[in-house]
Parts: sequence; structure tokens; C-alpha cells
Amino acid sequence: MSEIPENLSYTKDHEWASLQEDGKVKVGITDHAQDALSDVVFVELPDIGSEFVKGDAMAVAESVKAASDIYAPVSGKIVSINNKLEESPELINESPYDFGWMVVIEPEGELEGLLDSNAYREVID
Amino acid sequence: MSNKRTPLFNHHQKCGAKIVDFAGWEMPIQYTGILAEHKSVREKVGLFDVSHMGQIFVTGPETVEFLSYVTTWDMQRQKIGDCRYCHVLDDDGHIIDDTIVYTLSKEKYMLIPNASKVSEIYDWFILNSKRFEVSIDNLSDDYFCLALQGPQAPRLLGQHLNVSVGSFQLVTIGDTIVSGTGYTGEKGCEIIGPLKEVVDHWEALVEMGAEPIGLGARDTLRLEKGYLLSGQDFNGGQTTLETGYSWVIDWKHDFIGKEALLKIKSTGHQKLCGILIEERGIIRPGNELYYDGKLISQLTSGTLSPTLRRGIGMAYADLDINDLVTVKVRGNNLNGRVVRMPFL
Repeated sequence: MSEIPENLSYTKDHEWASLQEDGKVKVGITDHAQDALSDVVFVELPDIGSEFVKGDAMAVAESVKAASDIYAPVSGKIVSINNKLEESPELINESPYDFGWMVVIEPEGELEGLLDSNAYREVID
Repeated sequence: MSNKRTPLFNHHQKCGAKIVDFAGWEMPIQYTGILAEHKSVREKVGLFDVSHMGQIFVTGPETVEFLSYVTTWDMQRQKIGDCRYCHVLDDDGHIIDDTIVYTLSKEKYMLIPNASKVSEIYDWFILNSKRFEVSIDNLSDDYFCLALQGPQAPRLLGQHLNVSVGSFQLVTIGDTIVSGTGYTGEKGCEIIGPLKEVVDHWEALVEMGAEPIGLGARDTLRLEKGYLLSGQDFNGGQTTLETGYSWVIDWKHDFIGKEALLKIKSTGHQKLCGILIEERGIIRPGNELYYDGKLISQLTSGTLSPTLRRGIGMAYADLDINDLVTVKVRGNNLNGRVVRMPFL
């Protein structure tokens, strides 16, 4: 059974979003998503400074078999990316909610339309 | 129509397999993960359920003559106990399927067509068998096929069935056939026998340490070795010459497609080229291939090579070894080069 931490917000496309103390939002993919992808072998991250509207494809995670788009859970500007994923994409499988984070977004406006952990569990059940 | 399952379906599920539809069969794509499974086969030993593949038996006094006519190989050259990889062509020289031919006796041969091509091959054989004294039986639903592959495979085979088998040789034990063949480039064998016995073989081999391997790793293993995938690297429009597998042709005998091949040989043709990507990134079937800034082809196969940690693929093109190419992946151009296959 997939791990779904209660303190995070989710999208139906299996990204998680975590509101930081400074108002920025850390983003990654869920345990369910990494399991469905299986071995992540390549991650393509956006450039720092690039801007996305909620729902835009902003990154790609690839397994041996397939490439999956990762969508922006909030609108805003990329202020940080997880460079460790270039050399160690498997961090997404090993630690999807922690060492496998993908980007930090400086959001435009409020976080809206995200799911809580219970609602996300319903999506994957 | 619902998908077919092999008798091992429940075993696959119990091992945590992810199941996919493959040529009308519900087959395991992976168990623990493609990378780990790939490594097990290269370094230890893996076990594949490939019971979806076909078994067509040809028997009768003119079996040798018939099979020489419908394949690229002259079966007069086969000895009893030999296996041979060859192609079945249509009148235009296009590959219908690739198959291994098993010489069981002078008048009894078995062929292993790909799952998606079993009925097409059977119909083609029936159509072309009129002037031969042979009978052709499609027993695909009655037989299993397991592939035991990897450096430790010969030891496990010895332990399991108390036999050893040379490369492209076969031994029979009752109704069971063991051949020194496979699709991974590793040492190993394929075991073919009556369907109801498959569970016993599977359980015994897994108990001895063979790791279940899915179709995902089967694809990365075969691509590293430059082996063709039916329906993908050829899909009705390519000849043996273009695939670079001319060694499967014995030109000294007559066979369906020979005239067309001779014509193509004299006019020249594209060739299946191995593409190695020299930067980070994975290439996939269908990605566009560029040379000198011009779109020249699309990849028929492409993946990450788990061993080389590089993108590898194949495409039909008019290129030479070491030519520099780019492959377009989601708008990005990845730099690569034409290399001799196998990649590994």
C-alpha cells in the first residue's frame, strides 16, 4: 500500500506539494507514482527562473519503459531544482517525499484546488 | 476477445508482477524492476515464461524440402539435434517472422514463431505446402516455453534435468525439448514441453535460485545484443538484407522471396543501424533520427541500456559506422553515433 503523508497536498496526477515556512512550495511525485513508474533512470528538470501555469508539464521522469510528464501543482516560478537527481534519479524511487523532491516553486497567489491525503487516497484506490 | 493467460499467471501475480497485454496475452512486464532483473540475467540466472510463443510442428517425408522452401535456410544442412535461426519471407522478400527451427528427426521439425505471428505463419505454411508431402500442426496451445538465461543457467539446467546442451543444439527428454537458445545473448537454454508440466519446471527452477524476469528486461537484454523484435524492427515492409541478418540466408537453395532479395541486393538498400547516444537521455521507438540536420528515419527500437547506462536504439538508414547523428526526444536533440551491433 502506498505511503501518503498527511501533511502534504496532492494532485490527481500524482504530484505532491509541500508549503514551506517561507511561502515557497516544494514538489515531487508520490509513492504511488514512483511505484507505477518503477525504476526511474532519467529526470529532466526545468531551468531555474522558468515559469509555469498550474497543470503545465514542467518536468519529465523516465523509467526504462516509459517517460512521464510531471505537472506543476501550482502556478509560479522555479526557484530551486534537485540537482542530485541528475546523478541519482533512483532517489525518486527510494525516497519520493524526501531526498527525491524535484523542484521548489515560488507560487503566484494561493495554493488552490489541491487534494488532502484522504482525497488523494480515494484517487488511487 | 479476452486475453490469454499461461498456466503461470497466478505465479506471476504472486511474485508481484506488473501484467501487460502483449500480443493478446496477459504477460508479466516486470517483477522487482527492469534494472534489477536485467542485472540478474547478465550476472546470475533468470527465468522467463515465454509460453505465449508458438510451436508449429512440420512432419512427413518432404519436411526438409518444404522448410527449405519457406525459410531462408537450406534444411539439408541441418543435422538431427540442430537448431537454426532463420527468417520466413513473403514473395517480395519481406520478413513475415523470424523463428528458430528445431530438427527433431529427419521427418519431424518444430518452429517457434512469435506469439503475434503464429496464425499468420501457420496459414502461410498451409498455403505453400500443397506440392509437398507434409503435415503442419499448430500445437501452440499445448506447449509451454521457459527460457533459463544467464551465466549460471547451465548449472541450474544440470541440477534440474540432469542434462547439458550446446549452443544451438537440442536434447529431448520424453516430450520435453531443451535447446541451447535464447534472446538475451547469455548462456542458457529454452525448455519446451507439454503445457501441464510448466508449473513443476517453474517452481523447481525458482526454488534453485532462478529469478523471474519479465518482458521489460527481455527487451533491454535483446536490444543490447542487437536482436530483432518482431512487429517492431520488422513489421511487414523490411527484407532480411535490410536487417543486416544476411547470414540467415543460404543463397545456394531456392526459397520464397529469393528472387526479390537478389533484385534488392543488386540495387542497394538501407540497413538497420545501431545508434548509441553519447549524452544523458533515453531514446524510444518512433523518435526521429537526423543526419546532417535532415530527418532521415525513425527509430524502430530504443531504450536505456541498463549495462552501458546510455540510450541505445536501431533505425533503418543509409549511414556508416561512426556517422554522427541526432535523435529528437520531446523537442530536444540528443547527440549520438552509428555503432556496430551488438552494443554489448
